[in-house]
Amino acid sequence: MDKQLHENICEERMFSSIFNKHSKDLHNFLYYKFGELLNPKDKVQEAFVKLWENCAKVSPDKAKSFVFTTANNLMLNETAHQKVVLKHQQTKPKMYTNENPEFLMQENEYHDKLQKALANLTEAQRVAFMMNRVEGKRFKEIAELLGISTKAVEKRIYGALEKLRKDIKEL
Amino acid sequence: MDRDILISKWLDNDLNDQELEVFKALEDYDDLVKLNQGLQAFKVDDYNTSEELDTVLNTIKSNKKQSTQWFKPFMRVAAILAVCFSLYYYTTTLDTTITTEFAQKTTIKLPDASNVSLNAKSILTFNKKDWKHNREVELDGEAFFKVAKGSSFKVKTKTGLVTVYGTQFNVKQWDNYFEVICYEGLVGVHYNSQETKLNPGDSFLIIDGKIIAKEKENRSQPSWLSNESTFKSSPYKTVIAEFERQYGVRITLVNIDSDQLFTGSFAHDNMDVAIKAITLPLRVTYSKTNNTIILKRE
Repeated sequence: MDKQLHENICEERMFSSIFNKHSKDLHNFLYYKFGELLNPKDKVQEAFVKLWENCAKVSPDKAKSFVFTTANNLMLNETAHQKVVLKHQQTKPKMYTNENPEFLMQENEYHDKLQKALANLTEAQRVAFMMNRVEGKRFKEIAELLGISTKAVEKRIYGALEKLRKDIKEL
Repeated sequence: MDRDILISKWLDNDLNDQELEVFKALEDYDDLVKLNQGLQAFKVDDYNTSEELDTVLNTIKSNKKQSTQWFKPFMRVAAILAVCFSLYYYTTTLDTTITTEFAQKTTIKLPDASNVSLNAKSILTFNKKDWKHNREVELDGEAFFKVAKGSSFKVKTKTGLVTVYGTQFNVKQWDNYFEVICYEGLVGVHYNSQETKLNPGDSFLIIDGKIIAKEKENRSQPSWLSNESTFKSSPYKTVIAEFERQYGVRITLVNIDSDQLFTGSFAHDNMDVAIKAITLPLRVTYSKTNNTIILKRE
């Protein structure tokens, strides 16, 4: 605690360490929540520039929630409640080469379904789910990141999984 | 073990070996793995933290928000100071001008304790700021100077430049009339790039561009300082002009030669006596209406 009193975000070293610690999570959070179209990278930049401008007012332990809230607000200002367009990464990394055309077609079909199903999830569900499945984060980490309880994270992720499977079957 | 819990644990990467076996035996195991693999395709582009950090730091530095925080108020203060200073500078370096109106006389103390008496309807200009280095006044009209000792003292007039080596002298400069009388010390008069030095009692007179010789002055100071205008063989028009300045009236001459010479004086405190003083010797009659006096020769 004492240390925090003396540490100041206005110092470049401190600022950089905060950036290194949180920027990737923030970026992923924005990406899974709002999709790619709204330039999550830019929002991360903007949020951290704002953090720098307010470095005297924000204590280091508040920095994470500051940038998350700021970036989220920046996004919301821009989306203005337009329907979120999700363009998740389409090119699948080629793990194996011995695919026959039929398999490829099925694969593509499945892919499309998955994409639509993901778009149907709520923002909260999608963020938690993707962080867990794709980024490999555990429930507890996600809970910390989003500032909610582990139980709530589990509920969101489980719910997302069930909904996805149901949607994929139906599509 | 319950299927839901198993899946939850799988999601949280919290399965132990035993549970993993049970989980693998679940009927939807394949489905889940397939889904999981499919999801990997939606992974975020590689996010290069250090690259992004560099960009942010560059943005911050180019913004220079830090510096503008003190720069703006600083500029405000600086601007106010600049305005104040220039105003101060302007007012202190401004020439001081003293003007007298009709029938008004005044005495001015110059910055070095020299005295200037200014006769009616005259203008004296000098610069306070530069006084130490440059004792110079500009005169339009008539003034009597009592100059304190020091470096040279100059009086600039339209007609000529008067340099003072001594202490007391009178300068009179009206249209086509320029007269310097030295009462004490030594005075130099530059006229047409020629310097004439005047000793006490000497005078220098130019009327209509001609230098006119005058006899020695034996007073200790000009008569106007004791509220009297004295003339010795002066053209009548200069007498009239002086009268106009002292009483603030307009005089019209009818049938009178304005170039004829006049010797005499008039007082500044009684107009009726004064008008008699300048009319009787020439046998001229006068009539007065408001501010206009008409002089007529029968």
